[in-house]
Amino acid sequence: MSIQSETGAELQVERQTMEVDIACVGFGPAMGGFLTTLTRAWNENPAETAFESKVSPGIPLQVLCYERADDIASGVSGVVTRGAAIRQSFPDLNLAEIPMAAAITSERLLYLLDPIGASRRSRLCHIKDAVLRKLGPFLGVRDDAFHMPWTPGFLHKNGGLVMSMGQFNQWVGSQIMASGLVQIWPGTPVTRPLFAGGAVTGIRLADQGVDKQGCPGEDFMAGMDVRAQLTVVGDGPYGAIGQALNEKLGMPQGNAKHEWALGMKMLIELPPENLADSDRPSPLKPGTVWHTFGYPEPEIFGFLYVHPDRLVSVGIFVPSWMSDPSRTAYRYLQHYIQHPALWKYLKDGTLRSWGAKSLDESGRRGEPFLTGDGFARIGEGSGSTNILTNSGVDEAWTTGTQLADAVLELLRARKPFTHENLSATYESRRRASAIEAAAREAEHARDGFQSGMVRGLMGMAIAGLSGGRFSLNANIPPPYKQIHHAKAYFAEDIKAKDAAALALMDGRPLHDALLTARGWPEIPFDGRLLISQQDALLMGGKVQALPGFADHVVFRNAGLCIDCEDKTCIAMCSGQAITLSADLMPVFEREKCVHCGACVWNCSQSADGERGNIEFRAGAGGLHSAEN
Amino acid sequence: MTNELHIVVCAGIAPDPLQTLEPVTGATGPGLKNEMMLPAILDPWAASALFEAANLASRFPGSKVWLVSLGPKAKLQQVMMTVAQKAIFELVPIDAPIGGFADAHATAGALADAIAALPGLDREKLLIFGGWESATRGAGVTLQLVGERLGITDQFQGVDQIDLHDDGSFEVLERVEGGKHQVSRCIGAPAVLGWATGNLAEPRNNPQTGMANMRTIMPALQKAKLATLTANGLHYSSVSLPKQQRTTRVVKDRSPDEIAAEIVAWIGAN
Amino acid sequence: MVESILVLTHADENGMLSQASLEGVTAGKDLSVGLGAPLVIGVVAVNGSLATSLGFGNARVLCVADEALAQSRYASDAAACEALCRAAHASIVIVAAGSRFTRVAAGVAFRLGGLIDTHITSINVSASGEGRSIEVTRSFYRQRIEAVLSRDARPWFLLIDAGTHAAFTGDGPVGEVEDVPVELPSLRTQVLGLRAPQQNALTIRPEAKLLLVAGAGWTKKQADGQTHAAEAGDLILGFLRNTGASLGSSKSLVDQGGDGGPVLPFLTHMNQIGQTGSMPRHAKGLSTCCHGEEPHVVGWRFIADRRAISLDPNCGWARGKADVVYVADAFKVMAKVNEKLAAANEANSAVAAPDRDFQRSQEVDAAVLV
Repeated sequence: MSIQSETGAELQVERQTMEVDIACVGFGPAMGGFLTTLTRAWNENPAETAFESKVSPGIPLQVLCYERADDIASGVSGVVTRGAAIRQSFPDLNLAEIPMAAAITSERLLYLLDPIGASRRSRLCHIKDAVLRKLGPFLGVRDDAFHMPWTPGFLHKNGGLVMSMGQFNQWVGSQIMASGLVQIWPGTPVTRPLFAGGAVTGIRLADQGVDKQGCPGEDFMAGMDVRAQLTVVGDGPYGAIGQALNEKLGMPQGNAKHEWALGMKMLIELPPENLADSDRPSPLKPGTVWHTFGYPEPEIFGFLYVHPDRLVSVGIFVPSWMSDPSRTAYRYLQHYIQHPALWKYLKDGTLRSWGAKSLDESGRRGEPFLTGDGFARIGEGSGSTNILTNSGVDEAWTTGTQLADAVLELLRARKPFTHENLSATYESRRRASAIEAAAREAEHARDGFQSGMVRGLMGMAIAGLSGGRFSLNANIPPPYKQIHHAKAYFAEDIKAKDAAALALMDGRPLHDALLTARGWPEIPFDGRLLISQQDALLMGGKVQALPGFADHVVFRNAGLCIDCEDKTCIAMCSGQAITLSADLMPVFEREKCVHCGACVWNCSQSADGERGNIEFRAGAGGLHSAEN
Repeated sequence: MTNELHIVVCAGIAPDPLQTLEPVTGATGPGLKNEMMLPAILDPWAASALFEAANLASRFPGSKVWLVSLGPKAKLQQVMMTVAQKAIFELVPIDAPIGGFADAHATAGALADAIAALPGLDREKLLIFGGWESATRGAGVTLQLVGERLGITDQFQGVDQIDLHDDGSFEVLERVEGGKHQVSRCIGAPAVLGWATGNLAEPRNNPQTGMANMRTIMPALQKAKLATLTANGLHYSSVSLPKQQRTTRVVKDRSPDEIAAEIVAWIGAN
Repeated sequence: MVESILVLTHADENGMLSQASLEGVTAGKDLSVGLGAPLVIGVVAVNGSLATSLGFGNARVLCVADEALAQSRYASDAAACEALCRAAHASIVIVAAGSRFTRVAAGVAFRLGGLIDTHITSINVSASGEGRSIEVTRSFYRQRIEAVLSRDARPWFLLIDAGTHAAFTGDGPVGEVEDVPVELPSLRTQVLGLRAPQQNALTIRPEAKLLLVAGAGWTKKQADGQTHAAEAGDLILGFLRNTGASLGSSKSLVDQGGDGGPVLPFLTHMNQIGQTGSMPRHAKGLSTCCHGEEPHVVGWRFIADRRAISLDPNCGWARGKADVVYVADAFKVMAKVNEKLAAANEANSAVAAPDRDFQRSQEVDAAVLV
């Protein structure tokens, strides 16, 4: 029994142990699908002997789910999903029961021109933009946006839903809890799996009452060991359990989690006149979905989803293949919402909420070992996201339901949760399903982006239109190698260290100074929607970290960090939780961390040639917003 | 056993304090915009009371803690998912509308009725705990009204500490003006204590505590009685956000010495 | 509705009416004039003649006097107030918030079959129909929402916030005082006394003109990558010594005690100001190393003149929550402030010796509190 401290030293402590049948890690859509399916079958006949506990005979099956966030409603995502699997689980789904949910009413694809001239566009891009501007009146270019006359079918979410992930999770979680069969515990980080040989025998909860380095304080409470017959891992793409399993077991041949994107969004309440203006009826009806590309940088994709009650989710995706080391999501998002095509509707709106999350963009190629003795993996961390259709929620939900069906089959057959049995029931269901087929089609769809935006779009189109038969394949390097070092970007422009000095002197974030130095205009703060990132954290993001937990972001090798000229971890930290000290060492503040995971893949340094120099462990706290 | 206690903690739920609140007036009177969507917490003062109760109960074997809470069932369930790992208690939920605009007298009536109906409750061991304020209505009267309804006239407000003696008597520290405490000695239960923050740190999440609590919490929630709160002739003419915008002068690019001189002059001015 | 008004007051440890009680009398007088309604002053005291030595104009004065009422205790105070209310038969009962009557007001209202509203900041009279009606203003959700409300039921108890009305100073000659008998219940509680923090730990000074608020920035890593909690503590305590200011804190700073982080040992949750803390009253407030977020700033409601020192030019203070924001390093500024204050104090003491006015005023501040 040990505590993992910053130095890796282990401290012997006594731990309580609890025996359960099924321990679940992470409550998101995948776990929602798993627990919904499991409890529904269980509820039909609670007395069925299959649902008797194996670890405590005579009482019902003991199923526990632990979630890191302080509330199960704290999930971060404005979501557009086809929702087919969700509807299948809830055939009588009444969207009015889920706040902020709406059926999709229209979808559009927009190419955004750069109205400012600060975006780093290639020569080809400039030529294309010039043509569009020239022919604008004939092609339907308005407000510096080219409204694509046709949206490829693979991007359509026909019959789908616009939702708030937080509200959806809360709705699902309430129903699961109301069954009384399963317990879900938020605010409970899980640090690592328990192994016995190659088998997973449970999980260890985080120590409490420790200092930032994990050393016990006066009110220390050692994290409990929860021993389980089956551990269900649904802790997302950078969850501690998933990461530990990958380290222990490695990845299947040819698979790796090398592609990422940071999704950052705002939830904005529109001013009422947009909908009341009868002369110019707003297109922003509930269920409206816009996908955009081209601005604020060519590599950055964006979205706008309209919820009921004049609420709009607006956000951008900053991908790992955007090689610029100073990729800076919050400032980019502020420029994005001010693009004329969006600003005409968003102006005078009010920021209601804000959030960020890293997305596993490796898709099928990021799939880890799905099962082993005593464990099974579901959801985004299991590689379920479809990177061609940009959809993950319904796919994650599906993997959860598939595992539940498998678990039910094994419980009824009184078979243990061995690798063989889980593989035969869960993996086989997954392999035979439509999401697997679609994921395989999408497998190489994004490879082209390694060679730039234009090739990337071509690659997506080829893969999408050929059903995955053709694609522009590429070898995807680890994320740290995808970041081009700062010198290349700043040689003619501004030196990173100068910007760092400026940032320190002026008390402003590093990335802010860098973007201003590059010609992006200062943000005209209006106190409602255009606000500083710190204000977004306080007003819209609502970040909090419970005391008594160790820092969960750890810099493995301080020397590498100090010598690093890129400091991309600082530029991409969504919560400004990583700042720069005078000795050029990044400093982490747990109280500001939104657990977006961007630092995991926005580190340009590596000591071992695969992993970045930043370790992201299990941690408590994060966003307190149910509207995300 | 002299010091076996029956502690009933009255605790409301409140919007997570980090949320932005905006009033709206609906068909049933004022409320908060998106009230059911806002994440909720156990009211911070009541939470102090619960943790103090659990601490006392753990020190005096045979003691028991009830948590009587009034709010929408779904919200109570959500809050219990966080609270139930922190202290051992038996939940007594009362399913009622959410919000700080409900009348305190009606709330107190529902709470007092629920307490009076608790099976096995011994008045001679009874301490009623709660917060002396709340993050919602914040009237600071509900506990007194509950106490009066139950005929308890030893009441303390703004309590930061209770020390129980072997003879069943106890000393209480109540907050009074000027950062001081009034020290009182009461010969024993029953009594009402409205807690300020107390001195205990928030207990750590203990999964075994949670497991034990949930076995009773979920059935209790399922059986929660629906309470209707009367308005008692309370009329709201308006609910609004206070206007507190000032014209701020932002002083930049001045040396610490210059700023210090200005501040010292400001402190000295009338 | 024909109204009549009772103001419940009590004597302080000197036998005179407490400050809160005098504020309540003003509120009652104002309302009496506004409604044209008769006014009764009810006094709870050990010695009735001392407590009623002020003239109350044409108000009727009732007094409950008993040795047991020397102590601020629920059972005896509730019985005394109940007796006054039953003698006065008032439809409106005004109580000014102080720890003593805040404890009992709701219970008394219940005994009278009445209803109570609290934290009232203003009582407004308006003409309605045939007569005049009363509405009161109070806040909900820790000062974040303001409501104007009224009630049909009577008696209606109004617990007004301290400081919302001026203290009554007397109106004409001392009038007749009617003694009201009270039968006290058996008293199970004894007040043993007051306990104050040690003199050197005293940081909360309600009488001070100035409030200093320390935010979490004091214990964060500074530009050199290190924390400087000890230095922060010295600067803050030095400022308090030099000015006699009261010390408040943001929640995030007092919460750090449990986080293993650097802590300022003289801060407790009693210092916390804001939504889940206190709302003190001081003429001036200086915020340091605090972001000025809304849940904290609601606690500044009664701070008239506000200034802040913050490194962030976009902090909440700069957006309409303070009158002046200094964008600067509080460590550097406060060191200079302390230097200047110490020098000024030394100069003053040299001039004023042997009276040492400044030092004495600090001692008086402390004496009020201990």
